[in-house]
Amino acid sequence: MAETEQVKPIPFLRGERVDLVVPRLEWVDIRVRWVNNPKIRTYLRGPFPATKDNMKQRFERVREGGLGEWVGFVVYHKTDNKPIGEVGLSRINWFTGWANAYANIGETDYWNQNYATEAVELLLKYAFEELNLNKISGSVALPNKGSWSVAEKLNFRFEGSSKEDSFRDGEYLDVKHYCYLQKDWLIRKNEKN
Amino acid sequence: MEEKNKKIITPFLKGERVDLCPTNVENAERYALWINNPEGRLYARNPLPSSIEEIKKKYGPPGEGMPEEISFEIYHKKDKKPIGLTGFLHINWLNRNANLFINIGEVEYWGRGLAEEVAKLVIQYGFEELNFHKIFTSIFTPNERSLRVAKKIGFVYECTLKEEIFVNGKFVDREKFALFKYDWLNK
Repeated sequence: MAETEQVKPIPFLRGERVDLVVPRLEWVDIRVRWVNNPKIRTYLRGPFPATKDNMKQRFERVREGGLGEWVGFVVYHKTDNKPIGEVGLSRINWFTGWANAYANIGETDYWNQNYATEAVELLLKYAFEELNLNKISGSVALPNKGSWSVAEKLNFRFEGSSKEDSFRDGEYLDVKHYCYLQKDWLIRKNEKN
Repeated sequence: MEEKNKKIITPFLKGERVDLCPTNVENAERYALWINNPEGRLYARNPLPSSIEEIKKKYGPPGEGMPEEISFEIYHKKDKKPIGLTGFLHINWLNRNANLFINIGEVEYWGRGLAEEVAKLVIQYGFEELNFHKIFTSIFTPNERSLRVAKKIGFVYECTLKEEIFVNGKFVDREKFALFKYDWLNK
């Protein structure tokens, strides 16, 4: 681990306590540890194990011009100098201006300290002010209070719940759907100024 | 290892304070820092993150045929380090025109007139070696710094494309500037 801490972060979006930085191949092991962690994966990516090769594949799929449908960042702690999680947009639709947001604080020591909230706020600013997207959605299983409290703190709109849309620990779970619209973001931005 | 640390600098175009050298994938990490830099990338229009792997591919072995892009590393002679990238994009060999770009990646070198020196080296190369007829550059309206450099060098304003690009939550204009070979040579 000591070695990976020396890997230089490449900042893309600057925050107060964390920056959103460009993912590096050297962090593959850390990320594999995060997404396989039972505490994390339950709500994140379903029941399948993630291998190092799965993660590496993402780096080999080098963007060929074009916009692509996925943008991912590593959440990097600025004073502790280490990656603590991931955040990004997936399933981007450039025509409708829609994307799904995901966030995952992989280092459990950093839970419940509003790091996900800070990271998602940076992501929203990027999505609306740089990528000109219209709507960002996030879906969260009901027991995953950590995630939906992030959505509520950031004033996402609650759109509704869908019944038994997820499965964990032997039972079906309802899923809460949240969204953020570009116009809401820009109105709030103007109010702040 | 010793050998490797003694970096061999291979200037391609010589200037006063900077030389322009071929790009080098060994410096991909440095390029990544510049290209993704939150302060620098905004008006360079790099709205998507570029991984080191993508950058290595971009500056790796070239494809066949005449290149559509030519890039150089800007090397600061006194401080002995690369500080940015420059070159031509969208080269059209038939019409003999290309787009000039300059990215002073190391932020502490901003505001020292280096972009002007770099621009002159690249432009001279474009006209006198590559035989370009016209070199153009685009400036996004609030980017005062680039505007000043373009005017100082002698770029002439051509037109404004209204609300061309989206920056910081709103559409801004693209102002197109051009420089012709005969004007450059008669300066």
